[in-house]
Order: sequence, then C-alpha cells, then structure tokens
Amino acid sequence: MAERQQGSGSILKFAPFQSAVDEGFWHRLSSLKLNKLGIDDSPIPITGFYAPCSHSQVSNHLTLLAESLPDESSDQSAVTATSQGNRNRCSVPGILYNTNTVESFRSLDKRSLLEEEAKKIWEDIHTGKAMEDSSVLSRFLLISFADLKKWSFHYWFAFPALLLDPLATLVDLRPAVKWFSLAEAESISAACNAWRNSSATADIPFFLISVDANSHATIKHLKDWETCQGNGDKILFGFYDPCHLPNNPGWPLRNFLALICSRWDLKSVQFLCYRENRGFADLGSSLVGEALIAVAQGWKDLQCVPNAVGWELNKGKNVPRCISLAKSMDPTRLAISAA
Amino acid sequence: MVLSQKLHEAFKGTVERITGPRTVSAFKEKGVLSVSEFIIAGDNLVSKCPTWSWESGEPSKRKPYLPPEKQYLITRNVPCLRRAASVEEEYEAAGGEVLLDNEDNDGWLATHGKPKEGKSAEEENLPSMENLEISKNRAVKLTPSYFGGDDEEDIPDMADFEEPDNIIETDPATLQATLQSTYLVAHEPDDDNILRTRTYDVSITYDKYYQTPRVWLTGYDESRMLLQPELVLEDVSQDHARKTVTIEDHPHLPGKHASVHPCRHGAVMKKIIDVLMSRGVEPEVDKYLFLFLKFVASVIPTIEYDYTMDFDLGSSSN
Repeated sequence: MAERQQGSGSILKFAPFQSAVDEGFWHRLSSLKLNKLGIDDSPIPITGFYAPCSHSQVSNHLTLLAESLPDESSDQSAVTATSQGNRNRCSVPGILYNTNTVESFRSLDKRSLLEEEAKKIWEDIHTGKAMEDSSVLSRFLLISFADLKKWSFHYWFAFPALLLDPLATLVDLRPAVKWFSLAEAESISAACNAWRNSSATADIPFFLISVDANSHATIKHLKDWETCQGNGDKILFGFYDPCHLPNNPGWPLRNFLALICSRWDLKSVQFLCYRENRGFADLGSSLVGEALIAVAQGWKDLQCVPNAVGWELNKGKNVPRCISLAKSMDPTRLAISAA
Repeated sequence: MVLSQKLHEAFKGTVERITGPRTVSAFKEKGVLSVSEFIIAGDNLVSKCPTWSWESGEPSKRKPYLPPEKQYLITRNVPCLRRAASVEEEYEAAGGEVLLDNEDNDGWLATHGKPKEGKSAEEENLPSMENLEISKNRAVKLTPSYFGGDDEEDIPDMADFEEPDNIIETDPATLQATLQSTYLVAHEPDDDNILRTRTYDVSITYDKYYQTPRVWLTGYDESRMLLQPELVLEDVSQDHARKTVTIEDHPHLPGKHASVHPCRHGAVMKKIIDVLMSRGVEPEVDKYLFLFLKFVASVIPTIEYDYTMDFDLGSSSN
C-alpha cells in the first residue's frame, strides 16, 4: 500500500501536520474584526485542537473552531472548561497574524515569523515550560487576510519544527504490536486507555511509557523522567500521533526529539506514535521506532536557536489557501437563497 | 427552499418557542426522547464510542433547555472513501435493501437485506466492470468545493504568490509529496494513483419539535476544504437525497449543512423498538442513539462514523 519503506540507517522522515479550519472560526474572526478589532492588526493568541489519529485511513488535523478565537468580550481565547479534558480536543497554543490588506498579507516576512515561533518553542524547552505543559511543543502560526467585502479568507499555516543537526536516523520502525510482547501490549493498551479516559490527562499529548520486567506498563508525565531512571525499566517516549501512515511518524515527534536532545544525553531514543481506532488504543496502527540522535554541543545553549521549517504546503505548492464563505455570510446571497 | 418547507419551518419554530420541552418519557410508546433522555443517551454514546463528544457550540445559539456544555454531539474527521451511488450498485448485487415499513412508500430502508431471488446465474456472473468503472469515476472525480466553483472570479489570483526564496524549506526530514502522500494509494493505475478521501463532521442535535435526535453532516473535500452542502448529497443514499436529507441551517453552528429530516424518526424508532420488544428484548433508553445511528447508517452508507458498540438487536426468531 505505501510506496516507501524506511530502512535502517535512513533519515527519519515525518509526515507534516495538516490544518483544518471550521467555518465557525471565520465567522467569529469576521465579527471580531468588525465589532472589536477594527484596523488593529496585532497578533492574536489562538488555540488549535488535535487528537491522535482515530481511523486507519485518514490523519487527524490541527483544527480551528470558533472557540479557537478570543470572545468579543474578553482577550483570552474562549477555550473553557468544556474543552479542557476533552479527549477529542487537545489544545495547542497558536498565534494569528491577520492583516488588513492583501498586500500586507503578501509582504509578511514568513521566514522571520516562523523563526520567532521556533524561538518560543526553543525557550520553552530550555526553561522547562515544555515539561510542565507539553502542548507548547506543537505551537503553530497562522497568517491570514480576511476580505470582508467578498467574504473570502486567505490563510497559511505553519507548524514550526526545530531541525536536529545532524538529522535523526532511523534504526527500526514497526507496528507497536510487533515490537512488544503480548503481555506488554495489553498492559500498554490498558494504561493508554486509562490515560485517555481521565479528564486530568486526556489532553496531554506527550508522555513517558515505562515498562517493567513483569511486562507491566505505566504512563508518566515528562517531568517524571528522572524518577524513571535506574530501575531497569524500558522507557519509551510517547506522543499523540495525528498521522495515519504506516511508515512515518507524525510532525509532533520533531520538537519532542528536540526536547529529548537538549535535555537528556541520549544517543538512542525509542518512541511510540500513539494512534487509536474508534477511540481506543490501537497498537496495530501505533508505531514504535528507534532513532539515533547526536546533536552538536550548541544544543545546550539557549542562544543557539536551531533552524526551523514548517510552512504548510497547499496541494504540494508553497501557496496560501483561500476559502470563500459568500454563500453563508453575504447578506444579499442569504436573502436570495431564503426567498 | 420550497415554499411548503419554509412554511413548515416557520410553524415549527413557533411551536418550539411556545411549547415546553418534553419531560415525560414516551420512548417506548412513541419512539421519541425527552430532553433528559437525550442527555442520558448522549452520555452513553460518548462513553462507549469516545470519538463522539459533547460540544457547547455558538453561545448565541445555545438552547436553554439543554445544559450549556451538552448542546449537541459531534464526531469529526470521519472518512468517506466512496460515493454512495457506487456503493448502492454493489449493494444491489449483494442483495440490496429492504423496506422496513411496507405499508406506505415513505418507509425507511434497512440495509443488508436478503439477496434478491431469481437472479439468474448469468447476472451473478456479470463481471463487476460496470461497478468498478462507476465507482472509480465517482471516487476519483475532483469535486469543486468552496475553493473554486462559481466563486472563482471573486478570488484574487494568488498563484503568483509562490515565493520560494522567502521560505527556504529544503528539509530532508520532511516527508515529501505531503498532502498527497497522506491519501490511500490505490492499486489501480488511474490518473495520479491516488484515491482521494472526503471527510465528514457528523453531529447530532436534539430536535425539540419532533422530540428526536437529528443528524447533521458537514463535508470536507480531499484537502479538508469545506464541501458545498449540495455535494454532500452524493454521499447520501440516493433514495434519500433531497427527500429525507435536506440542506438547512444548523441549530448550533454557522452555515448550511445537510441533515436527515427528523419527521419520521419517531415512527421508525418506534418500529425498531416494537421489533425488539416482540423478541423479548427490553430496550433501554440509554441505548437509543446506538439504535438511531444504526438506522441513520442506511441513509449515509459510506460515512464511517463510530456507532460500533455491540448492541444486541435481539436474537432473530424468524
């Protein structure tokens, strides 16, 4: 089915994150623009949502909903208690640059905007903030121009990924069921399902899996790394993988590896791309991989921000996306369709 | 929209405003749900099929008779690999559908019926060339979304916007072919070797007038761009498109969405419940949505949403 296999010693390749924007997001952006922001084009903090891949045939997307934007009455994005702990909506912080004209949209310096966000991720790794709130590792950027006269929206996502130098090489990658023993797989499935079912942990996308000599698995927070050491347990780095592909891990692993590289002296990393089927742990589609990492000494230095990539392609091209919502927003059209 | 439909919507709106929500259970008698039963059934769906979750929706559109954090149910990013029309042809070959309700002609269809009798051997031996041809065309056809179509002239040409020097992204660790590589690769050597996949957000609201759940479909094309609701009808059983499946305003979300009209939901659910009870199965109200989604599956046969809890419909005594 898949046309490429990643062999041993090859460069570890990641499937890019894909964006999806709900119609409600553009509706709320329009009303924010008209009723509150006016020509103020300062960046707006927004919240994106994602979840582990839940179907073997489609990847999950980083999704923007109406609630991704701040309420008109407040400055905070409207993510309320209802989405915290919602397993289908893991929050990811993002930033929106919405310009007033198409010219300023085109002239945005995309490279430095991406670097700016990459720097935030780098700082969060170094300060340890990413250990407390791992969602900052998937921080994203959106630039847009809302043409409210024509009800069309031009936009472009970036999912900044810090580049390892040298790049990580792959030793092994296979379905998790083929990596673990049956007893281990059962224990890991149960532990992951419990993690996903608890509202305290359901939306924490990066974690540690520790498997003891009796094949018993426990899931731990990243900050518990030190306490997992020295007892002979197998430790894997787990993350919610939005990607469904059988031979590639998804994008969130990139900055996770960057965090692992800069915080811990590891030469070899075992990771679990956690995926689900119908909402339950699916170790058949989840992948376990082993990668070799050996980054330069500069990685211990906060000042040396690594290069980053991550602008989303549109049908394979470096162009923005556009959506026209005239049908649902233009009052004249609405009047005609209602007649 | 047809005038009669409009008039009915206005009437329905008025009735909804002046009557209170159902509080007494009439689940077994009429196949309908009270508000609190809807919440119970929804909670059970969310816990058994965790790809579903409750949402609060637009604050301005919140219904006061529902809890603010439990306004409607949704499951997102559900794949729809084939168009319904192509599935129906395969269905016909496999035995087709049976009317659940034979008295009148507007009954619901049950899937997985018995194979049609009297099919001659030649017919059965017919190579599936025709089906294949159609399903291929249907599945692979690029469909216009909001992205293109008649709005095209309104959108400034951004093709010249490609600026490779602004963002240098030659990164060997990025999986190339990006968007396309995330699609299934078909075995057939058709145009570009790629089977494109539509996805759906499926939501369930409570319809106060009919006192039943109501299903809504929001479609996305192969690159996750919003699909015009008219195109959603391609993924609906052709017996239902434009009849029981209509395009209307979503009660909690902006825009027009395709919806299975709930006017017969109560009657059909009542029939299903009666069948269960005649087999000695006592239906429980918290399983209502599993039954409901099973019958909705006959209207949207190709959308692979989650209603998988093994629900025993009763041992078939016939």
